[in-house]
This record gives sequence, structure tokens and C-alpha cells, in this order.
Amino acid sequence: MGLKDDLERYREVGEERRQDLAEFIQYGDLGQSRGDEVKIPIKIVNLPEFAYDQRDKGGVGQGEGAEEGDPVGQPQPQPGDGEEGEDGEPGEEGGEHEYYEMDPEEFAQELDEQLGLDLDPKGKKVIEEKEGDFTDITRSGPSSTLDFERLFKKGLKRKLAMDFDEEYIREALKVDGWGPATVFEWAREQNIPVSKAWIEDAYDDLPTDEKSTWRSIEQMEAEVEKVDTSTRIRREGVDQIPFRREDERYRYPEVVEEREKNVVVVNIRDVSGSMRQKKRELVERTFTPLDWYLQGKYDNAEFVYIAHDADAWEVDREEFFGIRSGGGTRISSAYEVAAEVLEEEYPWSEWNRYVFAAGDSENSSNDTEERVIPMMEEIPANLHAYVETQPSGNAINATHAEEVERNFRDSDNVAVAYVTSPEDVVDAIYEILSTEESE
Amino acid sequence: MNDDRFRKQRIADELAEPVSEASNLAERLGLTPYPVNYWVVDYDEMNELIAYGGFQKRYPHWRWGMQYDRQQKQGQFLGGKAFEIVNNDDPSHAFLQESNTLADQKAVITHVEAHADFFANNEWFGLFSDGAPPRAAGSEDDGRGPDAAGMLARHGDTIREYMQDPDIDRSEVERFIDHVLCLEDNIDQHQPYRPVETARDRLEEIEGVDVTDQLDELDLSEEVKRQVFDDEWLDAQSDEDNGATFPSQPEKDVLGFIRKHGMAYDEDAEKAVEMTDWQNDVLELMRREAYYFAPQKMTKVMNEGWAAYWESLMMTGERFAGDDEFILYSDHMAQVLGSPGLNPYKLGLEIWEYVENTENRREVVERLLRTEGITWRTFHDVVDFTEVQDHLEPPTWLQNVAGHVDELDPEDPRIDAEGLVAAREGEFDVAKYPWKVLTYEGLAQRHYSLVKPQYRGFVSRVGQAELERVSRYMFDDSRYDSVAEALSDVEYTRGWDRMREIRESHNDVTFLDEFLTQEFVDDNDYFTYEYTHASGDYRVTSTDHQDVKKKLMLSFTNFGKPTVVVQDGNYRNRNELLLAHQYNGIMLDRNQATEVLKRVFELWGRPVNLLTIVKEFDDHDIEVAKRRDREPEPEEVGKRLRYDGEEVTVDDVQWSDVEHLAATDIDYNTKPDEWLA
Repeated sequence: MGLKDDLERYREVGEERRQDLAEFIQYGDLGQSRGDEVKIPIKIVNLPEFAYDQRDKGGVGQGEGAEEGDPVGQPQPQPGDGEEGEDGEPGEEGGEHEYYEMDPEEFAQELDEQLGLDLDPKGKKVIEEKEGDFTDITRSGPSSTLDFERLFKKGLKRKLAMDFDEEYIREALKVDGWGPATVFEWAREQNIPVSKAWIEDAYDDLPTDEKSTWRSIEQMEAEVEKVDTSTRIRREGVDQIPFRREDERYRYPEVVEEREKNVVVVNIRDVSGSMRQKKRELVERTFTPLDWYLQGKYDNAEFVYIAHDADAWEVDREEFFGIRSGGGTRISSAYEVAAEVLEEEYPWSEWNRYVFAAGDSENSSNDTEERVIPMMEEIPANLHAYVETQPSGNAINATHAEEVERNFRDSDNVAVAYVTSPEDVVDAIYEILSTEESE
Repeated sequence: MNDDRFRKQRIADELAEPVSEASNLAERLGLTPYPVNYWVVDYDEMNELIAYGGFQKRYPHWRWGMQYDRQQKQGQFLGGKAFEIVNNDDPSHAFLQESNTLADQKAVITHVEAHADFFANNEWFGLFSDGAPPRAAGSEDDGRGPDAAGMLARHGDTIREYMQDPDIDRSEVERFIDHVLCLEDNIDQHQPYRPVETARDRLEEIEGVDVTDQLDELDLSEEVKRQVFDDEWLDAQSDEDNGATFPSQPEKDVLGFIRKHGMAYDEDAEKAVEMTDWQNDVLELMRREAYYFAPQKMTKVMNEGWAAYWESLMMTGERFAGDDEFILYSDHMAQVLGSPGLNPYKLGLEIWEYVENTENRREVVERLLRTEGITWRTFHDVVDFTEVQDHLEPPTWLQNVAGHVDELDPEDPRIDAEGLVAAREGEFDVAKYPWKVLTYEGLAQRHYSLVKPQYRGFVSRVGQAELERVSRYMFDDSRYDSVAEALSDVEYTRGWDRMREIRESHNDVTFLDEFLTQEFVDDNDYFTYEYTHASGDYRVTSTDHQDVKKKLMLSFTNFGKPTVVVQDGNYRNRNELLLAHQYNGIMLDRNQATEVLKRVFELWGRPVNLLTIVKEFDDHDIEVAKRRDREPEPEEVGKRLRYDGEEVTVDDVQWSDVEHLAATDIDYNTKPDEWLA
């Protein structure tokens, strides 16, 4: 035990505390994450204690020229907040959160697991031959791609093939009456890979009195034990591996024809006057995880954001969830912009397309039936979806979602989801994503 | 390994002189620190020490691991260097990180001496050390303070032994510690620490479980028994917790109460059972640690400010930093004081400087008001403040001691005669240690706050009301003919003397309450902010010092936590625990409170309840408030949270049930009445 142990225990305790993904989507602080990095808060590992309600507590700040009513941004850390080191190091604590960071791939995988989804993205665009793994082999190449393992194995095999028990041959030369020629013949019969020249040299080096040590080859074979190569290598080690140029092989990459999985996600949102704060938040809560999910599923994801009231226009993501305009509502205006953008920049042959729209189902009369539905039919896409965010249940004349749902009841690429509160968000996401899956 | 030791040894050698001189200087400045042992440690060791709250050995627990992890991730805190750790112990132990520059080490050393002085002299620290168990035999008994390192190490050993005991599940010990830690601030920090003695403990001390048997053995006459050890007394011994409502007064030491009456819940038996020995033991150890650390939490602003003040004086004022180190030091200081948020170093330092200045100013003003022709009414018209400043300026020889060694008068009370002799004989370098030639009085005048460039206007800014007050309470024992005569009598030590008195008796709450003035709030640009429903964010609400003070007090009173007491240990006559939140106008964090309740259940063994008051807003009111840019009026409602081991229930209760908990005269809300109107 000791600090190492404490650290280990902390990691174990911490692991268990990542905020549940569904809970995060419904209530979590989505704003901490960027498009390419999803930050999920780790539940506070600090032990609970009797503490003041943060909002109710307020605080003290320091700054020149502060006037009543000025916003102060995030509250500054206050003494007494959180667990402070008992030695009293100041200023290091406070509102900071710990986050578990996951990339969109991981997010998509986790969401699949959690919701039991299995969306299989389609490769659309063929991108020219691409270098795959270095699995093919050639006889020449840059030295950095030399397959040394192979070279070594070959060399070792060669060594094993060429190796012989030198002592054993020497003993054979000691047989009375045998000379190099006889021994060479005998070695051949025994399949010992020894050269005649080697035998001749060895015979010359042999002291004369030893040349008649053995009466016959039979006696020698009986008295001297032949040691096979592997045993000898094990005992004495490999002193030298014969590397040969002819054994050299260079790896080079396989040529793979790859289809890139491109996706374009069109996010459409009603920004008219009736879309109050709560509705806007519900849209953000539903769209953001969908964006992450699709980004995690595809190699290359692009996003188009379209805001509309009676007219529609393309905006940046930063603005998208915040815009609030006046005016009426004409949903088809957004589909007109979407159709145009998709046609020009994201051809159906090369792109997977997702067109998600959200609003409170209010639309100008007949627009849904006469304009929107035909356009949804016309715009080719993997999936069209409409998310109705209506926190207070139904409003009169807010029938867009129902009309779309009725019309596309039998369609397999149109989803309609209703979100009245954050609790519905996960179901809505499931509804939308599972629609394509069942295709 | 050896390299490491040699390197540390070399650093230690280099620091030997600064260490002993810092201690000498601190003493001369009027401080009386515990002796300090310094240790040179490397970065990892430092992080470990920080994680363990400044000690080398603690009980096994994941939260040290968490702190270590954070510490490492923050590695860049203060540029990843100049960590300072000193623990409240006698002798104190201070740790210096080997990678610090010499300038940083010196800064840490001077800082540490001041902390050690604070530990030794602040009365709140005495609440623990006076009640702490006696030191182990063989240790130096003359220590003034707690044997903290030893105590915490022993706690660690005890808990580790329990964890390793094959009959005890390690994770159960850990969980139990977690439960207790949730209540670590729920003690009565204003009372001295005393170990809890349960009725059972007391009986066991008399050796025996049954008192009746004991009494029989005493062989007393029946008469005596009946008179002295009557049935009532016997009942009190055996069933202290049966029957009527207790405690008779709300008990703030929730941990102590649980230690005395708490039980464990046995899942299999589905009922409360006596806590095991290890549970009782661990509970008391944790409670003791809570009491040990409480004074540090109660005096953070004062203590850090105190250390920053003396550090700055020694480092800058007495040039403890060499010329080449000075820039580095200033840089470091700026970083420490500049860290964002409400920074205890900065707040504390500012208040201490303010205390010093006001006390010194008071001295000057009192002298001036005794001068012919100056009254509190005419003060600002008659007094020539430039002249006053000139008179207060220390003589040249005090500013440049080294340049005047030959002219100094050993009889002058500001001169240390022995030091002067030694200096003249060349025993030390006067240019480096000019203070060795000076006494406390000399140093006080040398560092007189009112002549520092940043405080030159301080005397002239004295308000009419203060002048009037001073003159009303002044002893009119002597009159001066001239300003020069009056100011020649100024006691330059008055500011420091007062500061030492304050550091003895105050804690952060009283410190801020007494010394945070409008002038201070204005000078330092403090403001309060609140969450406003109309805008959905936090807004500045006030720059009035009363409001700033209220908010600050909220952060410091009771560790910045709501006060929760035991109201009834036999609630509903069913041995349930009833805790009560003493509502001061700020709500509890309900989620956390609920989680705490679940853990308290584990320590009580029977259902637990919490009475509290919450503010409820009507949705419609909020909507209206937004449109009109006003704040909605909350309705205060009594609630009872209950956890019975299975589920949490929340009930509305009659206002009369919680009325006694509601604050009547404190209002921490600083929103203007006509908010944004």
C-alpha cells in the first residue's frame, strides 16, 4: 500500500463514474465538446457533502469598474468550493470539471452499444488506388522497407542446411586408413553438407599420430556421438548467420481500391418567432449527438446548416442553434436551399446524404403538402427526418410532423420524431437512426 | 540513488545559511515560530506530499490518489515550481522542492517561518493541540503543539492493519471511510477536540460490562448505593439513548454524535447492529483528523496572508533575495498573487497590510490630534501632509545601515548593541544582513508602512468619521506644540504589535468581519454577484462593502458550508436520526444532501431525516420576471428529506416545523431591491 495503491484505487473509482451516455445526451453539457472531440463529464469523484446550492450562493469577484447588472460569466472559484487541499494551496480548485474525452468514432460505437443500433455506412465515392498495408513483397527497395525478419529466417535456414558437426567429421578422418576422399564419400552417404576442400584442410591439420585413432568407421560411430545442429546451436549459440543478397526481400504497400465513406448532413432548423429557448435547446440536444454519431461512422463528414423562417439561408454551426428571427414559417424554403446545395456540392453518386429538419411543426398553410413532401420525395437521401420540438404538447395548426409521418408511413427513409422534453431525446435519436438501419 | 542523495545534500548545504538566518530574522521581527525542519525533496515526492496534505504517511485512501493525479496534471501550477509545504506540527516540517531556484527556496523558507509562527500562536490551533492525546513516551515533551506527523502515521498504520485483516473486507473499510468523510466538516470546530467517550467505553474503563456487578463488588452499604448510584444514574449509564428526545440542545458535532450513538445496518439481519470495533475506531480517528485540520481551514486567509506579508518583508524589505534573485522572486510573487478567483494569499495580504496601515495611521492621527491647533474638524485643513510624510521618513542610517556602521549609537533602542559590536568586528557582512544590527524597534521604523510609496496618501485619506471617533476615545494625556514634536513620539511598532495580537485570537470570519471596510473593498475592486433568473446568468449585484462582506462571510463561516446539526437522535420515537439544516437564506445543494443522507444511514443504521428550507419559484413568476427584467420572489418552504435504506422521500412540512431553523436577521442575498428596474 502507499500512494501508488491510492492512485490505482482512484482510477478504479473514477472509471465507474463516467456519465452515462444517454444521461449525457439528455441533460449533459454539450457545449464543452467540439465537433471532433466529445467531452463527457466524469461524475464528480468528490464525496458528497452538505454544501450550498451554487446558484443560490452567488459569490465575490474582483475587477475594476464593476457595475450592478454586469454579467460576470462563469462564477469564480470561491473558498469552500469543492475539496481543497488541506495544506491550503489557493486558486487551484473551483468550477473545473473533469471530462472523459472520446472521439466521434468512440461515441458512435458506444451509442450503437447502448441503443442496439448497427448502422453500416455505405462507401460511395471511389477514390483512386490507395496504399494499403505493407504486405506485398519485392526483391529490391529502399533499405527501410527491408524485411529483416524474413532475411534472418532465411539465413538461419541456410545456416541449418549448411551446418554440420565439424568434430564428427574430424573423428571420421581419424579412422585408420581413411583419407579425405573416403571421408567425403562417407559424408555424402550420411547427408552431411561438408565440402571436399574443408575435409582436405582438416585432414592436413590433423596430427599424424591421431590419424589412426579408430580401427574402423564402425568403432568411431559407436564411440563418438553425433550432435545434431539444433542441439549444437542451442548449446553453443549461432556464431554467424549467412545473410545472402538473394534472401533479401522488401515490403511494399498493397494497392487497395478504396471507397470513401462520405457523408453530408443537412441540419435544417426553424428559427421563426415561435421557436423559443426551450424548443431551440431541444433541437440542439437532438441534432448534436446525431452529428457526432454520423461523423463517427463515416470517414469524411460534412455539415450544412440551414436556418429558415419564411425564407431560408445557410449559416455556420456557431450561429445555427442560437439564431432567432421574426417572420412566419415556410419549411419548403429550407428544402429549396438544401436541394440546391446538395445538387451542387454533394452529388448523390458520391455522398451519403442525411437531411434532418427540426421545428415546432408550424408551417404556412398547404406548404407541407404541396411543397415539402414532394421535395422530400425528390431529394435523394439515405434518410430524411423531421424532429418536432414542442415542449408544451400540441399547438393548433402545428401539423407538419403528422402530415409528413402520414404521407411517408410506408417509406423506409423518412423518420419523424417527437421531442417534448430532454427525456425524449434518446428515443428520438433511436427512432431516426433505426429507420435507416431497417432499410 | 546515491547521486540523488548527494544532489539533495548539496542543495541542503546551500540552504543551511538562509534557513538559519530566516529563523533569526523572523525572531527579530517579533515572530515566535515552532522550530522548523526542512527537507529537500524531488518533484515526485513533492506531489506525494501535496496529495497527502503535507505529510508523509496517511491512511490508504483513493482520494490521495485523486489529489496526486490532479497535482500531476496541473504540473504547471506556479510554473511547476516553488511548491511550498509546511505542516502544522511541532517541530513543523517544511519541504523544499529540489528543482526550485535559490530565490524560490528562500521565498519558501521565509514564508514557512511565518506559517510556523501562525501555527504556534493562533488560538484556534490550540483547540486541537491542547486536547490532543499526549505525546508518545520518549519524545521531546516540551513541544507546544501537536505531534501531528506521528498521529497521522499511527492512524495510517491502524487503518492499514484493519484493511489487511483477513476477517475484514478491505473495500468495506474504504467505503466506511468514504461515509465518514462526507461528514468531515460536520464537527464543532469552535470547541476543543475531545475523544468521544461512549457510555460503553466508560463502563469498560471501569473494567466490566455490568455496572450492577461492579457496584456489588465495591461492597458498599446499601444506603450509599441507593443514594449515590440511584436507579436513574444506572439507567443513564446503560441506556443513554432510550427514551426521550436527545440531544437536549442541537448538536453541531454530528460526527461525534454518530460516534456515540451510531450503528451499522446489517443487510442480512435487516436491522441495525452495534458498530464493530474497527468501525468505532476508524470513526474516531477520522473525527480526530477532522478536528486537527479544522483550524487550517478556519484561518486560511489570515494564515496565507500572514505568510505572504512576512515573506515579502524578508525577501524584499530585507533583501533576503540577492540582487540577482530579486527579479525572479518578484516574478514568482506576482504569479502567486495574480492567480485568478478569490485568492486567499492576496485577500489575506491585502487585509494584513490594511490592518498595519490603519493601526499606524491611528497612531499618527492620535499624535496629530494632540497638537495645538489641530482638531478632528480642522484636521484636513490644517495638517500639511507632505510635512507629515517627511517626519515619518526613517533616518538615513536606518535605510542604509551598512553605510553608517561607524556612526551608530549602541545606546539607541533601535540598535542591537551586540550586533553592532559584531558588525564592527566584521563577524558578518552588514551589507548582507543589516538587520543584525537592529532591534525590533529599529526594524519597525525601517519598514514603516506609511512611508512606502504606495501608501503615501494613506494618512491624508483618513475620514472625518474616523477622526471624530479617534478624538473621542483618545487619552488627552499630553499636548504637543508642533507637528514635528508630535510625530517624534510616534510608536513605529504599533502596527506590528497589533498584527501579532490579531493573529493570536482571530479566525477568517472574525478577521474579515472586523477589517473589511468600504475603503478596502473600493481599493481592491471587489464586487458581489448573484444568479439572476431574468437573464439566466450571473450578474454583478453590488460593490457595497457590507454586501461584499456578507458574501465573503458566507464563504468562510463554517468552512463555507451550511450548518447542519443533530436535532433529534430518537426521532418519531423510533431511534431515527433527525438532522436539521440551519437555514441562513441560502439553500442546500439538494442532490448532494440526498447523497450525504444515504451515507449517514450507513453510520446510523436506522432511517435518517433532514429538515431544510428551500426556495421555490413559480414558473409563471420567472417568465414574468424575465419580461419585466425583475427578479422573481421565491417562496420559502420547509422540506423533510428521508432515507430509510431503500428509498429517498421528500415531504413538505409545516412552516412551524422549520421556523426555528430559519434565519431571522441574516440576509445573504445582495441583489438590489430595484433589481435592473
